Amino acid sequence: MHATASNAATGADRADESARTAKDSRNDLLFGWALKACALLVLLALVGAAASTLWLGMDAFHTFGWGFLTSAAWDPSNDQYGALVPVMGTIGTALIALVVAVPISFGIALFLTEIAPQWLRGPVASAIELLAGIPSIIYGMWGLFIFAPFVAAHIKPWLMNQFSADPPDGKVSWLVQHVPGLARFFSSEYPFFGAGVLTAGLVLAVMIIPFISSVMREVFQTVPTRLKESAYALGSSTWEVVWDIVVPYTRTAVIGGVFLGLGRALGETMAVAFVLGNTFKFSWSMLETGSSIASTIANQFGEAQGLQRSALMALAFLLFVVTFIVLLIARLMLRRLATKEGR
Amino acid sequence: MTKMNEVASQPGFGTSPHAAAADLGQVPAKMTVRDLNFYYGDFHALKHIAMDVPEKKVTAIIGPSGCGKSTLLRIFNRIYAIYPNLRAEGEIVLDGENILDPKYSLNRLRSKVGMVFQKPVPFPMTIFENVAYGIRHHEKLNRSQMDERVEQALRGAALWDEVKDKLKQSALGLSGGQQQRLCIARGIALKPEVLLLDEPTSALDPIATSRIEQLVEELKKDFTIVIVTHNMQQAARCSDMTAFMYMGELIEFDRTEKIFTKPDKKQTEDYITGRFG
Repeated sequence: MHATASNAATGADRADESARTAKDSRNDLLFGWALKACALLVLLALVGAAASTLWLGMDAFHTFGWGFLTSAAWDPSNDQYGALVPVMGTIGTALIALVVAVPISFGIALFLTEIAPQWLRGPVASAIELLAGIPSIIYGMWGLFIFAPFVAAHIKPWLMNQFSADPPDGKVSWLVQHVPGLARFFSSEYPFFGAGVLTAGLVLAVMIIPFISSVMREVFQTVPTRLKESAYALGSSTWEVVWDIVVPYTRTAVIGGVFLGLGRALGETMAVAFVLGNTFKFSWSMLETGSSIASTIANQFGEAQGLQRSALMALAFLLFVVTFIVLLIARLMLRRLATKEGR
Repeated sequence: MTKMNEVASQPGFGTSPHAAAADLGQVPAKMTVRDLNFYYGDFHALKHIAMDVPEKKVTAIIGPSGCGKSTLLRIFNRIYAIYPNLRAEGEIVLDGENILDPKYSLNRLRSKVGMVFQKPVPFPMTIFENVAYGIRHHEKLNRSQMDERVEQALRGAALWDEVKDKLKQSALGLSGGQQQRLCIARGIALKPEVLLLDEPTSALDPIATSRIEQLVEELKKDFTIVIVTHNMQQAARCSDMTAFMYMGELIEFDRTEKIFTKPDKKQTEDYITGRFG
């Protein structure tokens, strides 16, 4: 009596169990498909955006051919368009931003993880995150009304005195006389005008510092304490621990953070539109005004028609290409580092 | 707690460790700890520690978790100094000089007192660079001298035969036991006089553990070794002297044989026989 009851129970359990297994595997399958769909959506959006800008920009690419890339002309009244100035402006401002922002972010992140007393770490970290939350148009206004006049009054005259062939104080420096080609990066048609590539680059630097430094701070925190202690125990100073242990250990993630900042600098629109000057005359000088891809689109899209609109779309496609190339370079760098370390 | 204080205040408590060292065939003390107190902020973590660490012997520090044994070890090379709010008072005399004196150079201390940690922590570099790294902080060597020193250190840590063909590979590819021996090689490459081992086998399997224990036996020919261990059998197997600590106090310090056969203090006996801890 007792035995039959338990046998029956076992039979029922078995049936339950196989039903449960079937349900589990069905659910897992559904879950897997749902996740795949989410990931696919990203790819679709990317390919869709690239394809539609290419499609709408076809007209400009057809009309100007490869000349679209090398021409500095941007003349809506004669319907002549070339991408050289905006592309160079985009790359130039982003590079200046990186050169300034990376060392500063590095310093902030190291200070916060290695040196700052515990009570200071929280407040400074949240201040940095707040900085990241400021809308770019506010950076643009700040750049235009406060920073650009400062550049015109202090930074630009100093730089021109040191490095340009036409300095405000009239004395051409030794450096300019002996380093050929240097002066062309520091010439300026309107020395009292604060807007320009350098100003935009510096504003961008302020904007991307929060991104880069918070990524760096987070990855520096992942370095195991034991690893640092081991290095200290061998007689390393704080500087040596940072340079020999923390940086190599986090190199991949740090480069990732830098390129995240670079990506943002390349695509930044409003802040740059305010302080870059929006002119289309090609110049090597970082003290000259210029244009970037995103700022050109933002400034001209409203009234653009026909070929001009197509040229703006073609510019947007070029921004895709530039960003893609940058990411590709990042990948290649990481791969080279990985093989060098023998991993 | 009050009982502890009673024990500590008994006459002769501070002197018995010295007497014990004398028992060990007149071995001179390499390091002498005098009235050492340690604080984590306001917390009094180590209380009036006094002991003589004999030269070229293995001294084990045992005790339950939180008794302060790792804390004590970490004062011997002042590694605690990288953190704020930690404070040591008293004296630790190494070769006639007080290493707790702020004027004592940390760089010099760490070249004289090496340390190996609980978990194997190879640096993210090649095997060769892991060993050469520390040497570079203290000495300028040319290439062939450096090759020689690295080989010597790896042989000393019984690792040379396993890695000699892959010195240029990443140290992260080694097994746990090999990584720990690499860390020992890294430590002895500086030619320290004292080697501190902080539970060096707690993350290793039994085979790797016994290799490290054999290695400790070898290393004591050249180095004064202090080993913190959770494992009483390990202390019994590989040490000459054993210190038993409990709640921040040094309860008993004597020849290992004596501690494990007929300890003087009841607490030591209770711990050894597994009645607590």
